[in-house]
Amino acid sequence: MATYHSVGHVQLPRADAIRSRLIDTFSLLEHLHGLSQAVPRHTIREILDPSCQKKLMLGDQHQLVRFSIKPRHVERITHAQRLMSTLQVRCSKSPPLSLWAGWVLECPLFRNFIIFLIFLNTIVLMVEIELLESSNTQLWPLKLTLEVAAWFILLVFILEILLMWLSSFFLFWKNAWNVFDFVVTILSLIPEVVVLVGVTSHSVWLQLLRICRVLRSLKLFARFHQVRVIILALVRALKSMTFLLMLLLIFFYIFAVAGVYFFENYTRSTRQDLEYHMFFSDLLNSVVTVFILFTMDHWYALLQDTWKVPEVSRTFSSIYVILWLLLGSIIFRNIIVAMMVTNFQNIRNELNEEMAHLEVQHKADIFKQQIIQRRQNLIPEAQRSSISKMDARDANQQGDSLDLTEASKEESKHSATKESSRASKSKTKKSLSKMKKSASSSSSSSSSSYCSSSSGSRYYDPIGQLDWETHVHQNLPGLMDMDQDERVVWPRDSLFRYFELLEKLQYNLEERKRLQEFAGDAGLIPGRGAKIPHAMGQQPMRCNY
Amino acid sequence: MSRLFKIIMISTISTNAFFMVLWTDYKTRYNLFRLFEVSELIFVSIYSSEFCMKLYVDPINYWKDGYNLLDVIIIIIIFIPYSLRKIKGKHYPYLNIADGVQSLRILKLITYSRGIRTLITAVGQTAYTVASVLILLFVLMYIFAVLGFCLFGVPERADLNNWGNLALAFFTLFSLATVDGWTDLQQQLDARNFILSRSFTIIFILLASFVFLSMFVGVMIIHTEDSVKKLERELMLERHMTRMEEKHVILKRQQEEVSKLMQTQKNVDHKSFTELVEKFKKTLRHTDPMVLDDFGTSLPFIDVYLSTLDNQDATIYKLQELYYEIVHVLSLMLEDLPQKKQSQSLEKVEEK
Repeated sequence: MATYHSVGHVQLPRADAIRSRLIDTFSLLEHLHGLSQAVPRHTIREILDPSCQKKLMLGDQHQLVRFSIKPRHVERITHAQRLMSTLQVRCSKSPPLSLWAGWVLECPLFRNFIIFLIFLNTIVLMVEIELLESSNTQLWPLKLTLEVAAWFILLVFILEILLMWLSSFFLFWKNAWNVFDFVVTILSLIPEVVVLVGVTSHSVWLQLLRICRVLRSLKLFARFHQVRVIILALVRALKSMTFLLMLLLIFFYIFAVAGVYFFENYTRSTRQDLEYHMFFSDLLNSVVTVFILFTMDHWYALLQDTWKVPEVSRTFSSIYVILWLLLGSIIFRNIIVAMMVTNFQNIRNELNEEMAHLEVQHKADIFKQQIIQRRQNLIPEAQRSSISKMDARDANQQGDSLDLTEASKEESKHSATKESSRASKSKTKKSLSKMKKSASSSSSSSSSSYCSSSSGSRYYDPIGQLDWETHVHQNLPGLMDMDQDERVVWPRDSLFRYFELLEKLQYNLEERKRLQEFAGDAGLIPGRGAKIPHAMGQQPMRCNY
Repeated sequence: MSRLFKIIMISTISTNAFFMVLWTDYKTRYNLFRLFEVSELIFVSIYSSEFCMKLYVDPINYWKDGYNLLDVIIIIIIFIPYSLRKIKGKHYPYLNIADGVQSLRILKLITYSRGIRTLITAVGQTAYTVASVLILLFVLMYIFAVLGFCLFGVPERADLNNWGNLALAFFTLFSLATVDGWTDLQQQLDARNFILSRSFTIIFILLASFVFLSMFVGVMIIHTEDSVKKLERELMLERHMTRMEEKHVILKRQQEEVSKLMQTQKNVDHKSFTELVEKFKKTLRHTDPMVLDDFGTSLPFIDVYLSTLDNQDATIYKLQELYYEIVHVLSLMLEDLPQKKQSQSLEKVEEK
């Protein structure tokens, strides 16, 4: 792997990672292999330029052209927007009815009207039921108005469903709440139709009518967001418990069938004083009995009743009942409770993810502010032309963020850790030297200590009590997880140059590190691998610094 | 375990369960007796052949898997009614028990359903806590049973129905613990004017029903949470590891290709990487935008990296200054010392 470097070249994994990133971004491999088909070599501007265009057309006409993509904020595309971009709609003279239907459905006035109608329906129903019994003829107009109101509400609901169908038929069925609305409306429609047709003698239908009108109030559930959230959470919790319910059904089956066999003698007995005689007669009754035992209702009375028949063996019947109680109602019920609790916690955490996401973004923003502040503070100290860098940054300011490749993530972490180890050493030395300086009385040292302490306070104030590296470490994941919508637009050659320079920077940093080590070995910097006698011996020379 | 085999087994077990349901009804049993006999033979033969096949495949490790042991137990259970009928004759009173136990055959289905198996492993980890709580409950009931027997079962005006012997006492206490019909039991005790009966019952109900059974729920909730979290963590780790490996492989392959390219180019032209891409660089225009959502090319990263580098430079600079300071101070100290030494040596010479 190191064969393509010149002799004496140190292999840096970080630099290699940067280079591979460069190769990846620009698809250099395909380019260098001569696979020009895979990589577009020309841009739209070249094509639009007449002189260039002629040259290109004379050459290979099957070349690929690169389009320039500008990032745009991708929002949710609504059905109405999609509809408006179809050819049919754009070429027609008047907007289609579905657009209008969609608009009406989204209109808040309409929505509040529907909610109001649902409430009205409930009230009407309540009053009607109260008045059903009384045969007071004076209340006859009131009854009539209530009936009319009920019919009107039904018609409005049907109209709403028709509007939804008009807006988009297929999307209607995809949304479960709409299907529920549809089912409820149809259920309340059928008895009315039947009553109208003339089967009025059957009181059963009338009762059904009342019941189905009540169901319409359930439509309220779909309207309120909170209720929707709760119901969604419930449905998800139930979904995750499907296997548990299957296991429970298996156990129900086992105990029901076993119950029929175990209590055959009890069922066949001819005694007259058995209360629960038919409880194990048939499979269906046995299932019901097993459910009754599951809810622990009158189990001891049932058991004592079975003991009355002498042929039933007491041990087996009591084993059966006690085993089922322990297994079913005590253990299983508590497993169900436990699963529901964990599921609700998970669901609540997921629903709160949105909030957590916003918090993380907020923290990352604060972190960025601190970075900028710190760079500004470092200008006089480091004597670096960060001003020019800041200008360059403003020129490129188009928003920022990320999604990270593991390589560069490790890079930055490694750089941070290296700096942390170096800086911690320097920090301990700084504190020691500060103490030394307080003892000594040289003016230059006091002035330099004043400088360092003042700059130190400026460093540490914005970040609190943390040193820079821990701070970076803590905020790095937040920075990396920031908003997916923001991207950076680089000019192509700048990007290439950036990668090249970054790679070179790694090598330069490595070289500087080695130079410092050499300097330490040579004794120029005491304490850096140099022996103390050496340093002491060379004191007179160094005084001249 | 091929798919066909699984499908066959699942359908067999389901049909067996369904037939058992039909068999409970006397009338259908009477009409379709022949069919039931034949199907019973088929099922028993299928189960035993499955057992023999699995045993043949892996004789020693067969016994280590719990589900295989379950299969063995169910086969033994299937053969019990035959053997009982043969040995004890047709009117053995416990025959219906043996028939009832046949319903356990449906438990074979659990082997073939992965969802239920994971559920059982997750729940099975709570088995120890469940067992310990149950044992505690049993001990408590034992204490109170003996107490109740002595208080309410032995004296002359005893309530023999409910507290006559230890077994009955246990039943009564269990009925109190599950608070089902306990008021009737309490009434019977009240009718016989026992002094301590009320406090006894109330204390026991508080302990067993409220404390113990609620403790049960709490313990299960905690354990289920733990096991679910552990499972999730393992899953995430696995996914992470596979992803890292894939990335490694891709990176390696890329580097190999570049080096290979370098080799070929080197043999021809002795170019280095930069010279190789010179031509490519010429095609890059400043006006072409490239959109990246990389962290490495994003502005926060550049800011952080540059400020970290600046920090590093600043600390090194300060460090150097400090070192020079140290050296300066030490040199000052040394200047003082030799003078003292010289004066001392001069004094010594003078003394001599």
